[in-house]
Amino acid sequence: MKQLTIILCFSVIFLSSLHQNRAQLEFELPKNGHTNNWAVLVDTSRFWFNYRHVANVLSIYRSVKRLGIPDSQIILMIADDMACNPRNPRPATVFNNANQHINVYGDDVEVDYRGYEVTVENFVRLLTGRLPPGTPRSKQLITDEGSNVLIYLTGHGGDGFLKFQDSEEITSQEMADALEQMWQKQRYHELFFMIDTCQAASMYERFYSPNILAVGSSLVGEDSLSHHVDPAIGVYIIDRYTYHALDFLESIDEHTNKTMGEFLSVCPKRVCISTVGVRRDLFRRNPFEVPITDFFGSVRPVEVITQVAPQPEVLNKTRYQVTSTPKKHRYVPPLVNFNSLV
Amino acid sequence: MFHSTLTTFLLVVPLAVLTYAFDTFSEELLLKPLGNDHLYAHFQFATKWDTDPEQESFRHTHMFPRALGEIVARYNVQELHVSLTAGLWMYETWGYPIMDAAPGAELWVWFKEDTENVDKNWKELASSLSGLLCASLNFIDKTNSINPEYTFKPRGAVSSPTINSTFVRYSSLPREIVCTENLTPLKKLLPCEAKQGLGSLLNAGHIYNTRYHSMAIHMRPICRDSSCESVSLELQQSVSLVYDLLILEAKHWSFRKLFGQGVIGRCVLAETATIYVDTTNNESVPFQLKPDPDEYVTSFRGGYVHTYAKYDVQSYVMSLNANYLGKNKVVLNSPPAIYANQYITGYGQERGGIVTTIYNNHWSPLDVVFLQNIPWYVPIYLHTLKIDAGGVRIEPTRIHYIPGRQRERPYHLEVLVKLPARSITSLSIDFDYVFLKWQEYPPDANHGFYIGSAVVSTILPLARNYTGLPQDGSTISDSFNASRSGYLVQMRTESTVITLPTPDFSMPYNVICLACTVVALAFGPLHNITTKRLILIVKDNEHFIVKLKNKVVGIWTRRTSE
Repeated sequence: MKQLTIILCFSVIFLSSLHQNRAQLEFELPKNGHTNNWAVLVDTSRFWFNYRHVANVLSIYRSVKRLGIPDSQIILMIADDMACNPRNPRPATVFNNANQHINVYGDDVEVDYRGYEVTVENFVRLLTGRLPPGTPRSKQLITDEGSNVLIYLTGHGGDGFLKFQDSEEITSQEMADALEQMWQKQRYHELFFMIDTCQAASMYERFYSPNILAVGSSLVGEDSLSHHVDPAIGVYIIDRYTYHALDFLESIDEHTNKTMGEFLSVCPKRVCISTVGVRRDLFRRNPFEVPITDFFGSVRPVEVITQVAPQPEVLNKTRYQVTSTPKKHRYVPPLVNFNSLV
Repeated sequence: MFHSTLTTFLLVVPLAVLTYAFDTFSEELLLKPLGNDHLYAHFQFATKWDTDPEQESFRHTHMFPRALGEIVARYNVQELHVSLTAGLWMYETWGYPIMDAAPGAELWVWFKEDTENVDKNWKELASSLSGLLCASLNFIDKTNSINPEYTFKPRGAVSSPTINSTFVRYSSLPREIVCTENLTPLKKLLPCEAKQGLGSLLNAGHIYNTRYHSMAIHMRPICRDSSCESVSLELQQSVSLVYDLLILEAKHWSFRKLFGQGVIGRCVLAETATIYVDTTNNESVPFQLKPDPDEYVTSFRGGYVHTYAKYDVQSYVMSLNANYLGKNKVVLNSPPAIYANQYITGYGQERGGIVTTIYNNHWSPLDVVFLQNIPWYVPIYLHTLKIDAGGVRIEPTRIHYIPGRQRERPYHLEVLVKLPARSITSLSIDFDYVFLKWQEYPPDANHGFYIGSAVVSTILPLARNYTGLPQDGSTISDSFNASRSGYLVQMRTESTVITLPTPDFSMPYNVICLACTVVALAFGPLHNITTKRLILIVKDNEHFIVKLKNKVVGIWTRRTSE
């Protein structure tokens, strides 16, 4: 009994200190309501000759992970396996550069949707949160009204559509409606939409939901071009726009002062060949005042609480008092005895 | 006040220690040369937790991965076996592996007997595992799963007197790829992850250039002691690799060459951490190990003797080299007692057949259970099932067959057959090629459609080429001196690819283009013919002046006539 009172006492102190700190935290939260970061990174292309699209999406994956978004808040969709493809002369690697500067695949990677799972249906279901029962947490976009979401798409597109695995496509109107549904369900606070495909700008033309900043690697009527070929692999290994975006992102860390405005101009026409299109009329803030870590990182005000008394673990005590009644167990023969069948 | 806090502390702390003593973790690595040019590396991580699986809530775990425990508790799982494999184990030349696994993903699960809706639990369990292991296991549902009657018995301890096979499910995804994204979550389930201990050898850059790699998770209840009145939960996590020494470009191998680095210290949570190197063939193909092993272990098992060099993993960075001495000698390969192959027969896109050839090199007949899970789009005909050994037809002891139904369930064929001594038995069955609905074709339909491996199970009377673990063992060291009355092997054959009649998906486009062209070409002349009249015009060679005169006269006469 005495012990119990002491524990109670401890927990009261603990709770009250927690309460105080929480009050302080609320005070220090950013006024714009941004509390967490998520990223949805999609490669929609299958087949070996689309190696570059996988390299594209892994480049962004690498960057957002490096800048602080945990794997549990990154949904990575890759339509084909390039790293362990039999054609890959360097197994378990995907490089951004023929000189093998950066292995964007890395040693610690979690792909959430892969292969045939990358479909328009799954993508729209993921965004709008209408997933079948039993969907694991790593395949859900559990965002709320405080989430800043980065959506990155790469693949083959045309005027007003993006192909998924050469068999189906998502239109710009479907994309816009999905985002509107996200907004109505309070599934994002601000959204950065980034797309590297031919005629990319056509994909964000139809957007009508607020707080979206969109960038596309090319305008309508333009092709997005690949960067260079790796003779050892035999295919183009990365697209121009993402190559330069990765170049920019590699130069910063989570304490950076760089802004989204600077990021939007990473690839001028003379290096990209296509014109990078930006849509900012739905976005309330000036991109030059938005830190890049608002979308690519996960920087949050954290206050370290030091005056917390550790609570002794008493749970085990009750748990292990449960004793199981002894029951006779046995191993069954692993295979049927033929003589017993006849 | 101080005094009472102290008593609380003293009361709580020993209790915590007690609870922590309930589970043990051990890690082992076995290196075994296979023939002349391959090296087998098997990592075995075993966690044994003295808890009652019936009552365990998995809210608090110590060494057992909680992420897996939650799934197990939620879906009422008694036993779980999942493997992700790339490449094919070559039974004929490599002998038997420690754990058999089919190419691609394979999952078989025993649910507890109070499970209400096994199919629903199975589907959602597969889906949850897909999130845990980053594999597309969520494609497993009842349209591609069977409940094997004879092949997959519970591997762990059971308490019920009868075994009801409605609680087991088996499925395989032969197309599933395996790469770093699957290894990463597996490493995170280990108590020391890949930071210390043998897990630190699992470097993606060095294990995906192997001929065969397989990772597996096996969870089952095991007897806690010899009386077997209470059970413990056992978790085996394994990674198997077969290196091709030709790819490594040298016969001599070292940890650095195989794994990129040495073992980084010893996992402090591991009770035992051991490396074994099979030195049984060291007399015929001598190699020298550096550093010298701590001791040599000799194992007598099923009439065969094996010797192993044993190393305890030390707390410093540890490496191992093997240098082959003398000239290259060729090891004669003695094939194991039984192995099997599978292939497709027939030509054209109407009818075909699946043939499984089972080789029995043993001097006595062997009882074999053959299991095949055939997808619903490959309709087989049971009456065409033929089993013959060297031209002699063999009657199966028993056939368990559940016909498939399109889009609902696969064909489940289990054949119990007694193979004659020293024989080659072929088991063949015919099937039809069918059309799918156009949206059922995958994006790369021309690649073909997979039929999963067949599972050929038998109990070997001898342990030649056998490295498997005994049923009551969890570690490699448990397999030493483990002579039993029989040794279970469950060989997986090749998975096969068939080309279903695949429509030309650009056909509608072509039809539209062609039809439009035809219509356009036909429409013009037809329209002209039906709307215009042909009038014969007399060709004149008159002079210009005369022409003009005639015209004027013509106009004049027309005017006057009006």
